[in-house]
Amino acid sequence: MTASDVRGFDPGDGRISTPSTTRALARSADASLRPAAALPPLAPDRGGAEPDWSEVVEHFREGLVVCDAAGVVRHVSPVAERLLPEVVPGELLTAAGVPALGDGSPVTFTHRGRQLTARQVPLSGARCCWYVEDVTESASRADALLAERARSAFLAVVGDKLGNPLHPDRAAAAVVRLAVPSLAEVAVLVLAPRAGRARWWRASRCDDETPLVDSGVLPGVDLPAAIADGLTGVEPHAVDWLVEQAVDAGWLPGLSGAESAARVVPLPGRDAPVGVLLVARRNTRWYDEDDVQLIRAFAARAGAALTTALLYRDQAEVADTLQASLLPVEPVEAAGVEWGTAYRPAQAGLRIGGDFYGSHRLADGGSVFFLGDVSGKGVEAAVFTGQLRQCLQALHRLESHPGRLLRLLNDALLETTQAHGQGRFATMVLGVARPHRDGGLTLTMAGGGHLPPLVLRASGEVESVSLRGMLIGVVPDPRVGEVTVRLAPGETCLLYSDGVTEARGGRRGDEQFGPERLVTAVTGCQRMPAPALAERVEQVTCDWLGHGDHDDIAVLALRAVGPSGRAPRHLHSVPEPVGAEQQRETDA
Amino acid sequence: MSAPTAAADPTDAYRGYLDCLTDADEYAAIDVALALLDAGVPAERVLLDLVAPAQAEVGERWARNEWSVAQEHAATHISERVVAAVAAHANTRPTGGRVVVACMDGEWHALPPRLVAEVLRLRGWQVTFLGASVPAAHLVSYLHRHDAHAVALACALPMRLPHAHRMIEACRRSDVPVVVGGRGFGTDGRWAAKLGAAWAPSAPAAAELVADERALRRVAPAQLSHLADDEYASLIRRRGELIDSALADLRERVPAARDYTVAQLDATVSDLGHIVDFLAAALYVDDPSLFAEFVEWLVGILSSRGVPAAAADLTLEHYAGVLRDFPRAAYALALGRAETSAAGSRAAR
Repeated sequence: MTASDVRGFDPGDGRISTPSTTRALARSADASLRPAAALPPLAPDRGGAEPDWSEVVEHFREGLVVCDAAGVVRHVSPVAERLLPEVVPGELLTAAGVPALGDGSPVTFTHRGRQLTARQVPLSGARCCWYVEDVTESASRADALLAERARSAFLAVVGDKLGNPLHPDRAAAAVVRLAVPSLAEVAVLVLAPRAGRARWWRASRCDDETPLVDSGVLPGVDLPAAIADGLTGVEPHAVDWLVEQAVDAGWLPGLSGAESAARVVPLPGRDAPVGVLLVARRNTRWYDEDDVQLIRAFAARAGAALTTALLYRDQAEVADTLQASLLPVEPVEAAGVEWGTAYRPAQAGLRIGGDFYGSHRLADGGSVFFLGDVSGKGVEAAVFTGQLRQCLQALHRLESHPGRLLRLLNDALLETTQAHGQGRFATMVLGVARPHRDGGLTLTMAGGGHLPPLVLRASGEVESVSLRGMLIGVVPDPRVGEVTVRLAPGETCLLYSDGVTEARGGRRGDEQFGPERLVTAVTGCQRMPAPALAERVEQVTCDWLGHGDHDDIAVLALRAVGPSGRAPRHLHSVPEPVGAEQQRETDA
Repeated sequence: MSAPTAAADPTDAYRGYLDCLTDADEYAAIDVALALLDAGVPAERVLLDLVAPAQAEVGERWARNEWSVAQEHAATHISERVVAAVAAHANTRPTGGRVVVACMDGEWHALPPRLVAEVLRLRGWQVTFLGASVPAAHLVSYLHRHDAHAVALACALPMRLPHAHRMIEACRRSDVPVVVGGRGFGTDGRWAAKLGAAWAPSAPAAAELVADERALRRVAPAQLSHLADDEYASLIRRRGELIDSALADLRERVPAARDYTVAQLDATVSDLGHIVDFLAAALYVDDPSLFAEFVEWLVGILSSRGVPAAAADLTLEHYAGVLRDFPRAAYALALGRAETSAAGSRAAR
């Protein structure tokens, strides 16, 4: 190390003197006590003049105190002199009254308001040297850095945790929970009053890491003045009476007014503050300027999270109402029919899609039932299913013959799609079920280009019902297939959308499920109740898909159960398990 | 069939109830349950001491190949109707917050969580039961829409654990505490601990946990640092390739496999896939005993269907060969093969 290096380390506070002023001082203090032999041997300086080592050493950032074998101070460098004025050459070091310089182990101690480190190095002849350094600045810099790191880490956690809860109540609870214990021992969030009532959440510190959270509602007029001010966007500065107000209102359990510090910050919203955050803790940790900055940064994030959540709530309320009107309605109860349904839209978060099913009761005791699929996916497709179902709801009162009803629907849809220029169309099966006295059903079905229904016979046979026809909503007067099927008691008819047969899965995830696998899956299921059968089709399809993407899936099963609603049990012929391999399904 | 007699105790009614399930007689089964309620048996006991053990027996009968999948589905459906009838009969007024109960994505065993849902409802919670195989996106949008005090998630098969973890994390991000249950987390819940989720061994335990929000939030973080070795991710990437090669191997060594019907082939491919999925789950939670337990179970299922343990061992041997560079997978496969050889020697005796 050279003198210029030392100067490079100068913290710039002027406390380390420049060479020109120290040279004389140093020499006068210890000229006799600087035997060259006492210093560690140094490599000879090549070429240049022999430097004056004592002079070089004087400029070390560390001050030097050299004691002889008896513990008498023999040399004090100017830096050491300034740091430890009590240490005087010629006297015992122990007499100087600096206890940290005792047994020789390295220490950090506070002396005359400065933070010092000292280490002892033995020299030859049983002498020793103390190296003393002033670390006040670097220690405070390190402390500041650690504090800043803690603040950044806290804000990062806050950003992480507050970004996700989109429910306003969850977001509010998360805000107060996050504020404890980093910002407060008690944190209270008051949301801007709606209809004169203000909701609040409070987190209080407990013995362990998890704070206790409670919440409630207050009339807006009962809010303490500081909170009411905060809600107008003003950050109250008179902090003293703030604590009193909060304690008087009973808001700060476990804290008393005399020994607490509190702060109130508004949480920025869309125009006015979305709420106000009150933080309080024992005044052993006062809120300094850095703390207040941190609370404001926290409040900004909390305000953004709450605003987003409130915005989401408003939007989701609208979306939910619309979605509810577009969800398939469960078939209405009808004499002699047991319904089973399954519905799984392609976009799970949306809950609606382009598949639809439903039923309406007819005046003569029968029921109209239908299942279909409109072109396209997502919201637009769902809106079209809504139009289609409304058309059917009106038209089935005028016409109960399935073929003619389907043609009427076709004309109505054609008009709608042409008017809107949508070019949408649907495939569907539409039928009428009429119960018989013996518990059976007659199904008259009309087909509009949809997949053929399956019938599960009591014998265990699975029939595919041949039902052709053209797409609905494309051309006027389409060709419509018609068929009549008789179900004996306990027999079931199954309608499904192409989301089932066109599900892609298997070994590579690209093989279609196909109609054959569907037939295999429902073979042996003739004694199943209709809801269980519909769920089985849904399950087998989803198992086939793995976790892959899929189209909308809809299933409608009708089982003839007789007027009592009880399927006769004697028809349940249970086939023996066909073969080991076929039964090896892991769905116990 | 036996006519339902009015028993005053769920254990006395059990036989008759099981007969109702055997006969797929929904109405008789409901009568048995309602008769117990009328005799003053608390609804929670009817659910946990009658419906739950009967459903466990249904699963056992399927495993022993006494019942077809269709019979099992029908019986499960009836149990669900019984649960609905018991709940309607009890008609508890909700006093607590909302609790959402759901099956993990891909999980179809809806009855156990349904029982948990009803026990929570009986204890005054406002319960929403989302049903079987709930997609994570659906659950999350539900949580964003409706403030939930807690979410209870069920998983019956350990092979769904990686998906379960994703779902638990999704709920966490919505700041809703999660309690998990079901055999899928291990009989002692040890895999729930690995995933950093609070676990309840039973419906009453779940109800107690849900009532203690701070306990729900006080869970140790997930311990999944072992995923850094990339074995799990590589295995999932190679899933299709592994199944293909295992199938080719099977066809080469078992001539009968060359003449499988489409249905047999699908079942075989599905089994080969399950082995990979269980192995992947074992890697995910870093517990080879998960895989060994699965092999033990699989050997039981196969032997009840007349398939020798050696058949399963062929595939394990093949996977062990292909995956020899995956130390954790290789160890799990070795434990699995110990199960097949133990079963083989049991059968030989």
